[in-house]
Amino acid sequence: MVFNSLTFVAFFALVLGMHALPLPWRTKKINLLIASYLFYAAWNPPFILLLWISTVVDWYAAQGLVKARREASRHAWMVISVVANLGMLVYFKYGQFFLDNFVAILGAAGIHWQPAHQDIVLPVGISFYTFATMSYTLDVYLRRAQPASNLLDYALFVTFFPHLVAGPIMRPTELVPQFAEPRKASADQLKFGLALMTLGLFNKVVLADTFLADAAERVFDSDKAPGLLDAWLGTLAFSGQIFCDFAGYSTTAIGAALCLGFAMPDNFRFPYAAVGFSDFWRRWHITLSSWLRDYLYIPLGGNRHGDARTYAALMTTMLLGGLWHGANWTFVAWGGLHGLYLSIERVARKRFASYRPGPVLFVALGLLTYTLINITWVFFRAKTFGKAWDVLRGMSGFNADAKPILATYYIVSVSLIVAAIVFAHWLMRNRTLESVVARVRPAALGAIWAVMVFAIVISQGSGNAFIYFQF
Amino acid sequence: MHSSISSSERPTASDRPGVAQPVPLRPVPVLPWSRVVIVAVTLFAVLVGAWEWTWRAYGVQPSTRNTDALWAIQRRRIDNGEGNATVIAGSSREYFGLQLDVWEKLDGKRPIQLAFEGTSPMEIVEDLADDPTFTGNLIVGITPGVFFSGFALHHDAVRYARRESPSQRIGQWLSMHTIEPMFAFYDPDFALATVLKRQPWPQRPGRHWGMSVRKLSVTQPDRNTRLWEKLEDDEDYAALARRIWADEWIPSDDDPTPAEIAKTADEQIDRMVKAVAKLQARHVRVVFLRSPSDGEYLAEENRTYPRKDTWEKLLAATGAPGIHFEDYPQLQGLRLPEWSHLAYADARRYTSSVVDLVKPRFSGEAVSAVDPY
Repeated sequence: MVFNSLTFVAFFALVLGMHALPLPWRTKKINLLIASYLFYAAWNPPFILLLWISTVVDWYAAQGLVKARREASRHAWMVISVVANLGMLVYFKYGQFFLDNFVAILGAAGIHWQPAHQDIVLPVGISFYTFATMSYTLDVYLRRAQPASNLLDYALFVTFFPHLVAGPIMRPTELVPQFAEPRKASADQLKFGLALMTLGLFNKVVLADTFLADAAERVFDSDKAPGLLDAWLGTLAFSGQIFCDFAGYSTTAIGAALCLGFAMPDNFRFPYAAVGFSDFWRRWHITLSSWLRDYLYIPLGGNRHGDARTYAALMTTMLLGGLWHGANWTFVAWGGLHGLYLSIERVARKRFASYRPGPVLFVALGLLTYTLINITWVFFRAKTFGKAWDVLRGMSGFNADAKPILATYYIVSVSLIVAAIVFAHWLMRNRTLESVVARVRPAALGAIWAVMVFAIVISQGSGNAFIYFQF
Repeated sequence: MHSSISSSERPTASDRPGVAQPVPLRPVPVLPWSRVVIVAVTLFAVLVGAWEWTWRAYGVQPSTRNTDALWAIQRRRIDNGEGNATVIAGSSREYFGLQLDVWEKLDGKRPIQLAFEGTSPMEIVEDLADDPTFTGNLIVGITPGVFFSGFALHHDAVRYARRESPSQRIGQWLSMHTIEPMFAFYDPDFALATVLKRQPWPQRPGRHWGMSVRKLSVTQPDRNTRLWEKLEDDEDYAALARRIWADEWIPSDDDPTPAEIAKTADEQIDRMVKAVAKLQARHVRVVFLRSPSDGEYLAEENRTYPRKDTWEKLLAATGAPGIHFEDYPQLQGLRLPEWSHLAYADARRYTSSVVDLVKPRFSGEAVSAVDPY
C-alpha cells in the first residue's frame, strides 16, 4: 500500500495500537513482521514469495559465510547470494529489456526473430529490498558485520514496512541492532514522527502530485516539441516533482519508523543546494549512492589504482546506477551523464586543488550544478531519446516555432514552487531539519503543521504511486 | 565520489565510506510538542470546517466520488453472479440520464451502470465482449463527439478493474464508508488544483486554453447518477456550463481535419462491429442509444458528426438496433439545462420511455426501425 492512501492511515493506526500494547518484545516484533508482509501483500500477494526467497537465501548465505573455513567457500556463499538476488532482479526488472535489445541486435544483423511477449509484472520495491538483503551478506563477507543472531530480527530487517519498497536502503548494521532491545516511541518521538510524516506527505501529495507532476507530464508526454519556456518549466517541474516525491517518501518512512521507536538514516540533504556533483551525490538518495560506493565503486578499485581505473570505476558505477533506476537506455544515459560530470569535476578538483571560490562564485557554481542536474533529469523523465532531444532542443532555444504548451497557471505555480524549493535548500544546506525545527516557535510550528495537513486533505490526492516504486 | 564540501550537522553514510554503517541518530527537537499538537489540531479543525462550509454554501452536498474504483465495483458484479444483467455502457448522457431506480421499477431488475462521463464506451464494450460470463443485455450510449472520436477521459477504468490491488479495494471501501458520506468538499471538482486552475489566470499569448468542465452530477454508491441540482436551479451556473461547452468548439490549429475525423469514426465503427459480433455470438442483445442533446451542442454534433455518416453507418455495420432520440415523440421536449444532460425529472421520464423502447428489442420481438408513434 502507498503511504498516501486511506488504507495506510487505517493500517498505520492499527500497527501503532498493536505496538503500544503491553506484549513481550518478541511478540511485538512478530506483529511488525506480519504487518510488514500485509503492507507488501496489499499490492500483489504472490510477490511475498520473492521477499521470502530473498530473506531465506541471504539468511543461509550469511550463516554459510560464517561457518565456512576456506576462502573459496566464503566466496561461493557470497556468489550464491549475489546471483540469487540479482537473478530475481534481472528477471523481473530487466528480462523484457534484455530480450528487446537482443531482438534489436539480431534485427541489425539481418535476423528477424519475434519472441512471445513476456507480460512480466515488476514486483514493487524489488530494487530496494534486493539491495538491502545483499548488503547483509556482503557486509558479512567483507567482515564488516556479524550476521543477525536470529531469523526473526533478520526477516524484520528485510521486511520492515517503512523502508521496504522505496528505501531509505537500510544496512543490517543500521537496523538489526535496533531489534535487540524493546523499543517504543516516547510521546515526543511519536509527535515528531507524525510531523515528519506530514511533511513527507505534503511534499508528495501537495507539491509533487498537485502542483508539479501535471506540468512535467504536459511537456514530456506531449507529442509537440516544447519551446524555450515550456521545455525549461517542464524540466524544472520534474526536478521539483522527483525531489518532492522521493524525499517525501523517505521523510514519511523516517517518520513512520520514529513513531514506532526506530531510527532510520537521512536519504536526502537538500540536494539542490549542492555545489558540484560529488556534493550532489552526498545529498541525493544518500543510501543508494553510499551503497553503490561501498559495494560497487570500492570493490571495482575505487581511487586506489590510478586515474584510468578510477574513472572506469566511476563510469561503471554511475552507468549501472542509472540502469538500477529503470530498464531503459535513457536511464543509462542519465547515469552516464552523471558519471561524466563526476569525472570532469574530479579532473578540475585535481587541477585547482588549492582554489577556494568566494561566496558569489560559490553560489554561481551551485546554480551551475543545479542547471546541469536539470539537463540530466531530461533523460530521466523522457520515455525515449527522441523526446529527450526534443526537450533539450527546446531548452537550447532551437524550437523557436513551437506552440505554447503550459498555461499561465503552470508557469506561475511551477516557478514559485521550484524557486522556493531551491531557496529552501540553500537556506538549509548545512543544517538538519531538526535543528531548524528546534528554532521555530511552537505556535508557528503548530500553524505550519496544520496548514500542511489541510493542504494534503484539500488536495484530495488520488493515491498516485511514488515515482521510485517503479524502480 | 568524494567531496570537498564540509559535512553538515549530522554525518550520513556518505561520510563513512567502506565501513559498516552504525545505527542512525534521529534526535527529536526540544520543543513543547503537546502545545504544538494542540495548535495544529485546533487550526486544522478550523480550516477544514471553513472549507467544508464554503462548499456547502455553494450548494454541494456529500456524495459518492465517481472514480475508477467505484466503476470496478459495478464491473465485478458481472463476474460475481450477475452476468445476465442489463448493462449500460456509454458516456455521461447515459450515466446521468438513465435512472436506475426507474429502470428497476419498470423492468424488475436494476441495471449495472458502467457508463462513464467523457469516455467512449468502446473499451468497456470490448471488455464485455471478451468476458464469457457476460450474457445479459447491453445498452451502448452513443454521444457522437465522444464515441466517434474515441475520446476516453477514464481510459484506465477497465485496466484498473482488472489490476486493482487489495490496498486500493480497501481504500475505496474506507472512502465510501467514512469520508464521502461526511464531507461535501471531498469531490475532485473541489480539489485544490482544480479550484486553482479555474481561476481567471491571464491567457498566455499564442494559444487558447479552454475552461475545464465543472461539476455536473451527483453519484450514489451504485453509480446511479443524476444531474447536479445547481444546473437546474442556478441559471448562472448552467450558463457557465454552456459557455464551457461552446469554448471547446473554438477552432484551433490542433483540430483534426474532416478526413481525419471520418477516418477515426470509421475505426471506432470497425471496432464496435467486432465487439458486437462477439457479443451476439453469445446471444447478448445489444441496443445502441443516442440520448438527447440540445441547442448549440446538438448543432455542433450535427455539423461535425452528421447522423447519416456516423449513427446510421454504425447501425448498418453492426446490424444491432438503435434508438435515436430524434425518432421518438416520447423522447422529445425534454429539458437539458446545459444542452447535453437531462434535468432530473426529465431523466426519470426519459428512462421510463427508454425502458419501454428497449424491452421488445431485448426480448427479440420484431420492431420497426422507427416505432410508429
